[in-house]
Amino acid sequence: MTRPCPSCGEQLADAAAFCEACGAQVGAADADLAGGPGGVKPPVVAGEAAPFDATFPTRIAGSARAPSGPRPCLACGGVVGPDGYCDSCGTKQPDERDHFREQPAPWVAGVCDRGLVHARNEDALALHAGDTAAGPRAVLVVLDGVSNTDDSHLASLAGARAARDVLRATLPAGLGTAQSRTAAAARLFQQAVDAAQAAIVDLTPDGSEHPPSATFAAAVLEGGRLVVGNIGDSRVYWLPDAGTPSQLSVDDSVAQLQIEAGMTRREAEEGPQGHAITRWLGVDAPDLEPRLCELDLDRPGWLLACSDGLWNYLSEPAALAERLRLAAADAGADPMAVALALVAHANASGGHDNITVALARVSPPPGHNAPDHARGPERESDG
Amino acid sequence: MAEFSATVYQNEFLPDGGTDVNAIVTVTCSGAGTAGQTGAGSAGEIIIVDTSGSMGPQTMAAARAAAQTALDEIVDGTYFAVIAGSDRAMLAYPVVQSGPGMVPMSPQTRQEAQAAVARFVGSGGTAMSTWLDLAVQLFGSVPSVTQRHAILLTDGENREAAGRLDTALGRATGYFQCDCRGAGTDWQVEEVRRIAQALLGTVDIIPSPEQMEGQFREMMRASMARGVADAQLRVWSPQGAQVLFVRQVAPTVEDLTSRRAEVNPLTGAYPTGAWADESRDYHVAVRVAAKAIGQEQLAARVQLVVGDTVLAQGLVKATWSNDSELTATIDRQVAHYTGQTELAAMIQEGLAAKAAGDEATATTKLGRAVQLAAATGNDEATSKLRKVVDVESERDGTVKLKRSVDRADEMALDTASTKTTRVKR
Repeated sequence: MTRPCPSCGEQLADAAAFCEACGAQVGAADADLAGGPGGVKPPVVAGEAAPFDATFPTRIAGSARAPSGPRPCLACGGVVGPDGYCDSCGTKQPDERDHFREQPAPWVAGVCDRGLVHARNEDALALHAGDTAAGPRAVLVVLDGVSNTDDSHLASLAGARAARDVLRATLPAGLGTAQSRTAAAARLFQQAVDAAQAAIVDLTPDGSEHPPSATFAAAVLEGGRLVVGNIGDSRVYWLPDAGTPSQLSVDDSVAQLQIEAGMTRREAEEGPQGHAITRWLGVDAPDLEPRLCELDLDRPGWLLACSDGLWNYLSEPAALAERLRLAAADAGADPMAVALALVAHANASGGHDNITVALARVSPPPGHNAPDHARGPERESDG
Repeated sequence: MAEFSATVYQNEFLPDGGTDVNAIVTVTCSGAGTAGQTGAGSAGEIIIVDTSGSMGPQTMAAARAAAQTALDEIVDGTYFAVIAGSDRAMLAYPVVQSGPGMVPMSPQTRQEAQAAVARFVGSGGTAMSTWLDLAVQLFGSVPSVTQRHAILLTDGENREAAGRLDTALGRATGYFQCDCRGAGTDWQVEEVRRIAQALLGTVDIIPSPEQMEGQFREMMRASMARGVADAQLRVWSPQGAQVLFVRQVAPTVEDLTSRRAEVNPLTGAYPTGAWADESRDYHVAVRVAAKAIGQEQLAARVQLVVGDTVLAQGLVKATWSNDSELTATIDRQVAHYTGQTELAAMIQEGLAAKAAGDEATATTKLGRAVQLAAATGNDEATSKLRKVVDVESERDGTVKLKRSVDRADEMALDTASTKTTRVKR
């Protein structure tokens, strides 16, 4: 028995957990995945509406585009012909690796762009959106392939997608204590990093003198629970509509060491070592343990993951939040429009590096609290 | 099944602020097969012979022989008819009063038709509108005929109230194709060319009766080799752009600009008629809004379409650059055909001025024609021009009108004015 994907309508394979066309998590996938050998199904609280449902109907037929389908023109929104030119305005479309977009749900979107100076786009982006018992979930993964390494544009994209595929699984709840919950999440993130690393190593040419390498930044939002992990200098920010914006990731960079030693952020990031990273993914990686950060979100705002192509121009959380506020004032709550506006800002500021912006519009209803950790007899699902 | 290919020749680089994009698109057809034999409907041929009183006995005899030769060339199974045209059109063959006015070619019908042609005698006036209208009627009487072609031979001027011929031509345009030939020198090149151009056919002069048979054989063979019944050239241009012109430039110059039929707001279709194994060149000019330096966009998609199937496509591009070495170059093909198009216009305008007694204008225009013919390597035009003018300098385009010119030479220059030569690639 086949069934259609509730997100894009594509026919699903038997017992599929995810739609092959749009990547949406489908049907009993949560249970199938989390309830595997040694696992227990996550709690399902009957009658409790997911906190975001009222705001974001994430299962809209046709809301997700199949990656191989016709793409919209970047200049006028018309349909791009098979010859790579817009059928309306004739604008030549960039190579699909040089500029691509993902929007797995109306509230989750990202843009990955070559920028103006670099010859190719070595940044990568992979997103996912779905529903869980704890509420709607979003996965944002950004990898920034290091320039002047072999095939890092291929490696970063393969790595981002591999990590995203691991992070599609529902966050494990642990044994019921906050500590074990964090440890379980850490294990999932480690698996994601390991998967990205394996993909990158897999694409490393034999005997490469400059093996491909990349940064890693990922955020998983599930209901109000947010887990962030990173290696290198790609970042995750939490930008609430009201309250103090913050950078949740911590860079593995010389600049960060200098900041910790007392230098100002500006001095350090604009200095000669401003973009030297101290940790990365790749065959020559020093180590592969992501820095983690957990947060329970209790108010509406924007979750943003980005590469340095954006934060070069908007490093301070307050500056970034202000630019985003301006973009959202024009574009509304559409994360794609806001992401495009931020990419446009980086290009207008020089576009010196590849630019990746991934956004999730977080909108828990007022008075929303983090899920009850002690609910039900839970065990971590990865055994 | 016929195959088409399209190749684009252009300089895609425009200077800052540049808007006009020119390209030559060469469309080549191979594997066309034989008319009416490709399963897409039957072919129909109608031979129209002027049988007015102006046809002298010698010309009439040659016309009879030529029509009989043409009948020999029509492939068996092809529907056909023969019209004798004077101040009214008469269906000479098949002899029917009602029902289908065309019959399939067979040894028997060929013999009957040739016997009917043998009885042609010249009498009466010349009303070409009635000839065209009867042809439309005959083609329409056999619905299975989807590829319609006629040969028209005349020796004189049309003698009808102004506008009649144009109205009839309007009814025939887009319905059948017609190759036209003028016998002797008493016919009007401009008039017959108008018929041939509207009906996607060729025009030529047959100065002496003994050349008639050969011309008819050639025309009918060419028509029988057109296995692709009908094809369109489609030109897509972007929102806000303007198609300045679409011209066929080889083998002859035919301006198609005004024959655009809208497919959708951005796409126009231009008729090209039937195709044999051949190559035709099109000059497409599009005006687009200027973009920033470094940007690239598509200025036109040029497609060859049969039915609704796109069989070949060429892309015409525009890229803005501030490198003047890139932007200043004019593509060789574009330059060549721009010259050939001007050559055709100069010959026609020069001869018209000469006929009107304006010798100064005629001298200037024909001089320019001599210059262009030399510059673009059109030897046929050069040799035909030299029968009408004495050339002082090909390079400067200085000429003198010849004192006495054979009228047939002048008409031959006129009818051949649209023939172009190709660039040696």
